[in-house]
Amino acid sequence: MNAGHQTTRRLAAGAGKSICRSCRDSLSRNYASAAAAAVQTEDHVSQHIPPVAQASPQTSYQVNAGVVLSRPPQITRDLHPFESAFFLYQRRLNERSALPFTRYFYYKERTPADREWKRKIKQRLTPARDIGRYKGYGEEAWNDEVLVGAKESDFNWQVERLLEDAETTGVEDQPAQELTETTPSPLAQKKVEHEAVERPMSRITEADKKNDVKSLNRLLQRTLYFLVKNKEGQWMFPQDGLQKETLKEAAHRVLEYSAGVNMNTWIVGNVPIGHYQLDYPTSRKTESGLNELGLKTFFMKARIMAGQANLKENQFGLQDFQWLAKEEVKTQVEDKYWRSIKNMLAER
Amino acid sequence: MALRELPFRTASGLSRQVRPAISTGPFSPGRNASTAAIQDIEDSSSLAVPPPSEELAKSFDPVARSRLRRQGKKQLPASRYQYRPPKYYRGPLHPHQPPPASNPASREFQPGPFSLPRLEQTYQSTIAADILTLTYQHHPPGYRPPKLENRLRQWTGDSPYFKNRPLRGPRGRGEELRLLTPPRTFRNIPKITKVTVHSYVPAAQENSAHLHVAGMVVQAVSNVRATAHKSRHNVVGWNLRAGKYVAVTSQMEREDAHHFLAKLVDVVLPRIKEWKGVPGSSGDGAGNMSFGLTPQQVALFPEIEVNYDAYPPKMIPGMHITVHTDATNNKDARLLLQAIGVPFYGKLND
Repeated sequence: MNAGHQTTRRLAAGAGKSICRSCRDSLSRNYASAAAAAVQTEDHVSQHIPPVAQASPQTSYQVNAGVVLSRPPQITRDLHPFESAFFLYQRRLNERSALPFTRYFYYKERTPADREWKRKIKQRLTPARDIGRYKGYGEEAWNDEVLVGAKESDFNWQVERLLEDAETTGVEDQPAQELTETTPSPLAQKKVEHEAVERPMSRITEADKKNDVKSLNRLLQRTLYFLVKNKEGQWMFPQDGLQKETLKEAAHRVLEYSAGVNMNTWIVGNVPIGHYQLDYPTSRKTESGLNELGLKTFFMKARIMAGQANLKENQFGLQDFQWLAKEEVKTQVEDKYWRSIKNMLAER
Repeated sequence: MALRELPFRTASGLSRQVRPAISTGPFSPGRNASTAAIQDIEDSSSLAVPPPSEELAKSFDPVARSRLRRQGKKQLPASRYQYRPPKYYRGPLHPHQPPPASNPASREFQPGPFSLPRLEQTYQSTIAADILTLTYQHHPPGYRPPKLENRLRQWTGDSPYFKNRPLRGPRGRGEELRLLTPPRTFRNIPKITKVTVHSYVPAAQENSAHLHVAGMVVQAVSNVRATAHKSRHNVVGWNLRAGKYVAVTSQMEREDAHHFLAKLVDVVLPRIKEWKGVPGSSGDGAGNMSFGLTPQQVALFPEIEVNYDAYPPKMIPGMHITVHTDATNNKDARLLLQAIGVPFYGKLND
């Protein structure tokens, strides 16, 4: 730095107050050239220069490590009625445009399975089992739209049809005399007796019905977040002050000290996914002589694989815990806290 | 540092007093052109109209109506009613333009999607966010990334033809220009773009039945029409003759690809006995991962199992599966596949 630069600096330091306009104009012209020179020299340095730490930091923030422990969605989400209607419409279009079903590749001719297939296709008119009674070929193939109040696009209705197809042989609906005419031998239909198929488990669990917020079986379609009630009675993510450790180690420690060891968890990555800043009304003095302006909590992301939280031996004086979806978290935590955490929680 | 901060401080100090106070006129609400139009817009929406009454909906029978309309009248042939798009595209200036491929009347129309795959939902809700957290690289404010040296070489010499000539590639045999990996953001999280299934059946040169069976297998497994390929060269050591059909492939995208991968990961791979996983040496450095399945393993696909007897014995082929992702290196592509549930073993190819 040469003498000219220093002069510019000195002048510029007081530029706001006591310099006349002509001086200011000349100063800015001088400065512009100086700045251009400075920029040019910087261009040669391609590597990053980390910012220099202050020699004696007077002010600081207390640093906390928090853990956003979550259980990811376990099942697919419910489709919007428009989505399911659209999918049904596309499937029926497909029946019209796809090549015919290669029947004899899947059913040997004159076998019981083949006869069953014939009976069933006579009833539903199409190879697809879950799009209702619809024929994709012929004079009336244009009639592919469902009417008002029809159940065909409903997911549960489709599941029922698939189960029914697996359980029935196609002779149940036919009247008795017709049965004797159409079936060539009673032996053939006796062979294809289907046993009851195991029903899929309900998408709504016991915990959903009881609204058990401590259960991990609630809201299987959503991400659940682990929230604890601290000594002051505030709901928040588990957290603790950062000691001489990395954020990831601190996250492991916080989880163990708050929710016990009976959880199989995985800390995702080494970087925090968000932070919360609290400014004290008046700065505090720490033992090491620092002026603390407030606290910052950095949140690590974690997933729970198995187990359940247990607050019995927690070391932070936690009173209670909950597993909540995103919009339920909003009702529990404070407004300021919510504003800093809402963008790191998944919508679903 | 002080020198760098200087310009802003000076400039702000100077401009504070020079800047004129701009006084805008009093705010008038009625001056915008759109305010007059707002009054003309009806506040009732057509979407708010209640649905038809129940008895009207129940009595509506489109098939009966159409039959009644056609009763006793001779209809014109169907071709008079149906619109057929032109068979050939004759350019943008031709008066007869084909409809877009999304139109069901179009010749290129393909129906779909038919479902929202579970794997895609898992990717959206869980995998993408986790990959972003795992691969995010934080830089402090004011960070300037190091400048990349020119990866291509200049043409040096006196030749006049060197002027404006495209730059030369890297030096050395087998050296190639690798893809650059941009900093990870929420916009460039790696995702699955395509899955290719490929089956090579050299026995099809003598007996074409092998090729037909391979085509049926690949088609049944992938839900996409299989394409047959000729061999391009004579290779004496492999008894390969040029021009003979020896392979079938099919490419899956979107819904098909997700259903195929989910089926592979959840049904087929767990049933393979003593399967070590995908070799860690897999990957081409551009986000594509390949692995193979033997004929016995291919037979474990539920689509093959359901009518296993329909395939001639000993003709079910093995296949290669390539998962195309839009990752730019092996590491990210492998991370994505591991998140989906594909294990890797051995030395990793990074």
